[in-house]
Amino acid sequence: MTDQTLTPEERAANLKGMGCARKRVEDVRFTQGKGNYVDDIKLDGMLFGDFVRSPYAHARVVSVNKEAALALPGVIAVLTAEDLSPLGLHWMPTLAGDKQMVLADGKVLFQGQEVAYVVAEDRYVAADAVELVEVEYEELPVITDPFESLKSDVVLREDLEGQTEGAHGPRKHHNHIFTWEQGDKDATESVLAEADVVAEEMIYYHRTHPCPLETCGCVASMDKVTGKLTLYGTFQAPHAIRTVVSLISGLAEHNIRVISPDIGGGFGNKVGAYAGYVCSVVASIVTGKPVKWVEDRMENLMSTAFARDYWMQGKIAATKDGKITGLWCHTTADHGGFDACADPTKFPAGFMNICTGSYDIPTAYLAVDGVYTNKAPGGVAYRCSFRVTEAAYFIERMIEVLAIKLNMDAAELRRINFIRKDQFPYQSALGWEYDSGDYHTAWDKALKAVNYEGLRAEQAQRIADFKAGKTRKLLGIGLTHFTEIVGAGPVKNCDILGLGMFDSCEIRIHPTGSAIARLGTISQGQGHATTFAQIIASEIGLPADDITLEEGDTDTAPYGLGTYGSRSTPVAGAATAMAARKIRAKAQMIAAYLLEVHDNDVEWDVDRFAVKGAPERFKTMKEIAFAAYNQAIPGLEPGLEAVSYYDPPNMTYPFGAYICVMEIDVDTGEWEVRQFYALDDCGTRINPMIIEGQVHGGVTEALAIAMGQEIAYDDMGNVKTGTLMDFFLPTAWETPNYTTDHTVTPSPHHPIGAKGVGESPNVGGVPAFSNAVHDAFRHFGLVQSHMPHDHWRIWKIANGLGMHG
Amino acid sequence: MELTDEIRIASPRDVVYRALNDPDILMECIPGCEELTQKSPNELEAKVVLKIGPVKARFAGEVTLDTANAPNGFSLMGEGKGGAAGFAKGGADVSLTEEGDETVLKYTAKVDVGGKIAQLGSRLIAGTAKKLSAKFFTRFGEIVSEQSAA
Repeated sequence: MTDQTLTPEERAANLKGMGCARKRVEDVRFTQGKGNYVDDIKLDGMLFGDFVRSPYAHARVVSVNKEAALALPGVIAVLTAEDLSPLGLHWMPTLAGDKQMVLADGKVLFQGQEVAYVVAEDRYVAADAVELVEVEYEELPVITDPFESLKSDVVLREDLEGQTEGAHGPRKHHNHIFTWEQGDKDATESVLAEADVVAEEMIYYHRTHPCPLETCGCVASMDKVTGKLTLYGTFQAPHAIRTVVSLISGLAEHNIRVISPDIGGGFGNKVGAYAGYVCSVVASIVTGKPVKWVEDRMENLMSTAFARDYWMQGKIAATKDGKITGLWCHTTADHGGFDACADPTKFPAGFMNICTGSYDIPTAYLAVDGVYTNKAPGGVAYRCSFRVTEAAYFIERMIEVLAIKLNMDAAELRRINFIRKDQFPYQSALGWEYDSGDYHTAWDKALKAVNYEGLRAEQAQRIADFKAGKTRKLLGIGLTHFTEIVGAGPVKNCDILGLGMFDSCEIRIHPTGSAIARLGTISQGQGHATTFAQIIASEIGLPADDITLEEGDTDTAPYGLGTYGSRSTPVAGAATAMAARKIRAKAQMIAAYLLEVHDNDVEWDVDRFAVKGAPERFKTMKEIAFAAYNQAIPGLEPGLEAVSYYDPPNMTYPFGAYICVMEIDVDTGEWEVRQFYALDDCGTRINPMIIEGQVHGGVTEALAIAMGQEIAYDDMGNVKTGTLMDFFLPTAWETPNYTTDHTVTPSPHHPIGAKGVGESPNVGGVPAFSNAVHDAFRHFGLVQSHMPHDHWRIWKIANGLGMHG
Repeated sequence: MELTDEIRIASPRDVVYRALNDPDILMECIPGCEELTQKSPNELEAKVVLKIGPVKARFAGEVTLDTANAPNGFSLMGEGKGGAAGFAKGGADVSLTEEGDETVLKYTAKVDVGGKIAQLGSRLIAGTAKKLSAKFFTRFGEIVSEQSAA
């Protein structure tokens, strides 16, 4: 009873539960070089794999000559499609219902495609042997443009020739993958036909790449004695990988143990299954030795999953005073050589149908055409929930385009179209039920915080000065109000390859009142060990510091679908709270027994159960935990643990208001972010410091994407941005200061009201930066200019508008 | 990628033309050339070691000459394959103009590169290509001038 003198608030603070800016417990090892990443795994007798990759974007593979490579001392094997085909492993299923070559089967469809897999005793020998494999190619015509692809006679996927039905419905052309339609086409077209004003624009969200600092890799270790395969890898979804490996390889699932150790960033790049995993597993089974494969930076950028590459043709209709009446969008989605998007199965274009954004748009229609080209496969959610970034960028650009057409202030146009607080839960025209929101409050707070009126006055003065020849710098004010849809998702409509997208948590309380919790998710830097312990601390009254978190080992963690799409807190976080509540329910019975009162006569008080009306009579959770194991309680099993598999009833809908103020030099195209204000509403805030860190990181990635980062191809299908020399990854030098802010609108259906925040800053940040560039030139006639807004392209905008004299 | 340049060689045009068709001279002038074989009057085969930035590879190439315009110049088409390092293909038009005792050699080459060498960024490739062609013609000019002086 030592803490009897503490107030409930003091006891709550000691728990470091929800709301506490608790320092990240992971950082103790990360900041001391004690992380354990895939490449840190070194097993006895381990071999190394490396790929021979195609220099051509489209070619027939005439022959592969392994002789010189096999003659090199230290080379164990060189695998080709021919070697894998007897096992049926030369192709693998993709997450999008397509199939993908593991190793080139007769032809290659993108530059960097895997052609042969060399296994050697030493990483350097493997690299040398790759150069000795002689591959004869016969070049084929290259298509890097999706619109051209749909018109071309060239058949990219000969394996699908004649198939008019794909995984997502009819195929209209031999290079067409699917058409996905949402909303009411006829109604939307008649709204457009009758509208006072219609603004139309093509919005391109360029191809980019998640580019995690740690590239993808794995170590496959087949124990021929036990028959058990252990697969260490950079997997964002270790349990799903185990199931997929079992289904592909035919190994029984209980004989496969998948371990995701520390992961150095994922951002969607590490969701899918890659040829490197399959080849390493095969090589380990064949040799009986562990095989490691870790891709290098160029391989990562040119072959493992890219993001975006959406051509979004939009039409937005409004009354003359600015009330939006309809939205129409046709997207041409470049998926590359194979459809390897990582989306829930029923959503081949992800949640692109959140593209009505934060606005009450009564009528809308969306169609997405997926198209094959000679580019790398992928299409993953790069720090966003399944195409939500594309959707948010589309609507936030269309709002600006409409504002120009209406000659209205873009902030006011947003305000008069926001879904009102009293409209939630809100049914959107494209099929979603927004759970909660208070957009006007957030918007007004944001505009006030940056002194929006003052900024517009300053901008007007700047324009006058520019025209008078007093300055060569423009001022852009980039506005964004985004709504995300995260936390996939309800099993009724969200699955990947038939695997329902619930998630899980198992909590085991030790007798002395500390605990271990295991989740179906896996942290890649998000700080799960810190935040999930805080949820448990608040729910069951044990200090967060006394709770260990474990994820990523499929032999020990409960089954779950992993970490991407901001789903960890909305789904696994809910499972954590629910498991904790099961423990608390049992603890209540134990406490009542110990206190010799009825179960209903005790009440929860921060870290204890106390007798109602007699708070001095209580049992702390620590006492209850000891009793749970060591005291015979009639009618109760010993022990104190629980597991929860949580199937969310709905997604969660975080939102935010971002404002970027940018200075642009019209003569050099250089830009400088003068101010960046980010207001996020992610519902209940578990750890404000981690939220702030997430926002800083996410906005920095948004800055990269909007202002320079791209995967660019030339006409021959060469990747022109295959190294960090050409692929923009911001350093401290380019990264501006950010101001973070928040409102709190808890999710009504989530056990703790949390919504997820890791991806909001990327979703909201990109349009904020891009709108700032557009806004700077708006008064000189610019309507739309595609990202990325690097110095050269900004210079071209100014030049095109005749600003260079 | 396009390359154009012009050099002046202190030799008569027919000497320059002959030298340009002499495998031994070419082999000496091409930087990194290990082998050069004349398969027919219009076909050459070469093995060249090239280093572009961090990529070093042995390219096996075939070149076809179009000599219809001799000795005012000629055209060539070629392709080189460097395995994992990538490939290059392209063509060049070479014109030879007599100016007194000297010959002005002008060339325009159009080269497409693919694979790893292309990914290193065009600035690196263009720079390297310019450096290599300068090396070639400097050496070529020296040899031909020496020969005609001798």
